[in-house]
Amino acid sequence: MNAIFQKVYDFVDERIGLKTLEAKLMNEPIKGGSRWAYVFGSCLLFIFIMQAITGMLLMFYYIPSADHAYASTQFIIHEVDYGWFILSYHFWGSSAMVVMVFAHMSQVFLWGAYKKPREMIWLVGLVLFVIVMAFGFTGYLLPWDQRAYWATTVGVEIMDKTPIVGDFLARFLKGGPTPGQMTLSRFFVIHVMILPAALMGLAGLHLFFFRSAGPAGPFRGTTEELKAKTDFFFPRQVWKDIVAMAAVFMIICTLAFIEPVQLLEQATPDPGEYHPEPEWYFLFLFQMLRWKIFSGEFGQFLGAIAIPGLFLLLLAALPFIDRSPERNIFKRPIALLSWTVVMIGIVVLTVSAILNREFLD
Amino acid sequence: MAHPVENLSSIKLAWAVAWSAFWTGFPFKLIVALLLLAGQVHPWEGAGLVTLLVVSMPIDIWAVGLTARTVFLERLSMEIRGPVGVSLWWQGAVLGALVLGGAYYAVGTTVAVGQKVAAAIIALIKKFYPALPIAEQITLELLLWTIPTAIVLLVFVLLWLHLFGWRVKRVVVASGQTSSASFVERVRQWDYARVPADPTLVLVSFAGVIVTLTVVFWVLLPVTTPTPHPDYPLQQVQKASKPVKPEELINKTEATLKKAEAVLAALEKEKSRETTKGKSK
Repeated sequence: MNAIFQKVYDFVDERIGLKTLEAKLMNEPIKGGSRWAYVFGSCLLFIFIMQAITGMLLMFYYIPSADHAYASTQFIIHEVDYGWFILSYHFWGSSAMVVMVFAHMSQVFLWGAYKKPREMIWLVGLVLFVIVMAFGFTGYLLPWDQRAYWATTVGVEIMDKTPIVGDFLARFLKGGPTPGQMTLSRFFVIHVMILPAALMGLAGLHLFFFRSAGPAGPFRGTTEELKAKTDFFFPRQVWKDIVAMAAVFMIICTLAFIEPVQLLEQATPDPGEYHPEPEWYFLFLFQMLRWKIFSGEFGQFLGAIAIPGLFLLLLAALPFIDRSPERNIFKRPIALLSWTVVMIGIVVLTVSAILNREFLD
Repeated sequence: MAHPVENLSSIKLAWAVAWSAFWTGFPFKLIVALLLLAGQVHPWEGAGLVTLLVVSMPIDIWAVGLTARTVFLERLSMEIRGPVGVSLWWQGAVLGALVLGGAYYAVGTTVAVGQKVAAAIIALIKKFYPALPIAEQITLELLLWTIPTAIVLLVFVLLWLHLFGWRVKRVVVASGQTSSASFVERVRQWDYARVPADPTLVLVSFAGVIVTLTVVFWVLLPVTTPTPHPDYPLQQVQKASKPVKPEELINKTEATLKKAEAVLAALEKEKSRETTKGKSK
């Protein structure tokens, strides 16, 4: 058996240089040794692959038309064998991806791993972050129930407030005066074709830049300590990545069991008693927009477009503003304080949005 | 001369052991919880909770022992004689039960008092500024009672870490001995203790466990949704059956029969003509 395997291996190696590839992928030195803190990127890749697999399985039954989207999703939940589980996994997988992006970006930020010579990795990572959020936004409409329809309506209205391109973007996405068949078709194409292609390309670029610059390593420790701990990617980091991926997989499965996807009423242009609300990871922004300071046309533009846009621009400019080589987060008080304030702000506003629900009726 | 462990902060030492131990045991507990959920048993109540707690005990004992050894070796260059998992686990559990009891009471009281104070402050603000919008009010009220609650919770966590760290130090003082290995050797020693050294063993054992668990999981998993929405169930679409109108049906059948008779007569006529033609030839 081993001999056959070896022959096949040699055959492939002779043609595509498998040994060189294997050495490049597995024998990458990790400064300071393997760490659990480095698992987030691999976990993100794993979640994306699982989202692609479950998404393809769902597409066997899902019909992207305003007449059949709701019924086909109900059919997946109630009739298709294990359909409820696959759909719930896909739903919670999207949330896991957002959480993991936040964890990954936080780790890179706190460890100062965006600094020279890793600016390009950070910039491509930011674009990937926007793509992940766009995945969540476009996928939310597809079940075509009240929740989906109204979250999209609110989202597109917010987008409409962008100066110059806002009106075009809103009209392009909706494809008509109100969300309908054209909106569903466009969101479906963006969700299953454009965004996956963009994500795959940019993730490849992200990895290429990462491999070119090399891992940043820990921000603490003497040169002698780091040298002593330096190890190859295989087997210890691979093992940690596999364990983390398994844990992520099980957490998503657990969430799919505890809170499986349940559809509300089929989408109608009348919200009735339903109070429109976006997906949970946009709730903080949604709650912020309820503040008096952000009321009115200009206020809405300020809260929905200007502030998030400026925040993203600030993140993009970060490696060029923060030029100090110091990476230890405990010696970067402004960075630590900013990260803490942003995280607490997101948590407080998200909880506020949940508490706000009882004041809506 | 003071033992080297005394120079280390109890809180930092306890955190290093407890944090790593939590994550080391977490995936194993998750497997149990997931299998219970697949079998439609809730792991947060009744038999499910008891099962999870019972299974968690040996997992935690193993995890605490393993991480404590690696932390001692890495940070203190010390090896420990004999098993430490059971000893540290029960001390941590007893301290945890005591601190948790106190925290439950203190946090509960802080939440209750905090919410009352927050409501009073909001009422006071509304006296001067009656138009205080609801969104701002919610966030303000939330911050007013969650900040003191978080501080109280943090104090209890630090208290538990301090006490646990103190017990961890006693274990090190009682049974620790300085390792003669070099730094590089010690790094390898503690790293290999947590990660299997044999790559083939890693892959084969992991693949075996995954296959077994996957089979068990799919066997237990319900085929259709176990929790349909109570208000929006699947609408069973039934084909509308056409109403039967006897007169129309009889007329239609008669017309069909007449048509068939006419066709038959035409065929017979044609056949007899062909027969006549054949005879004349």
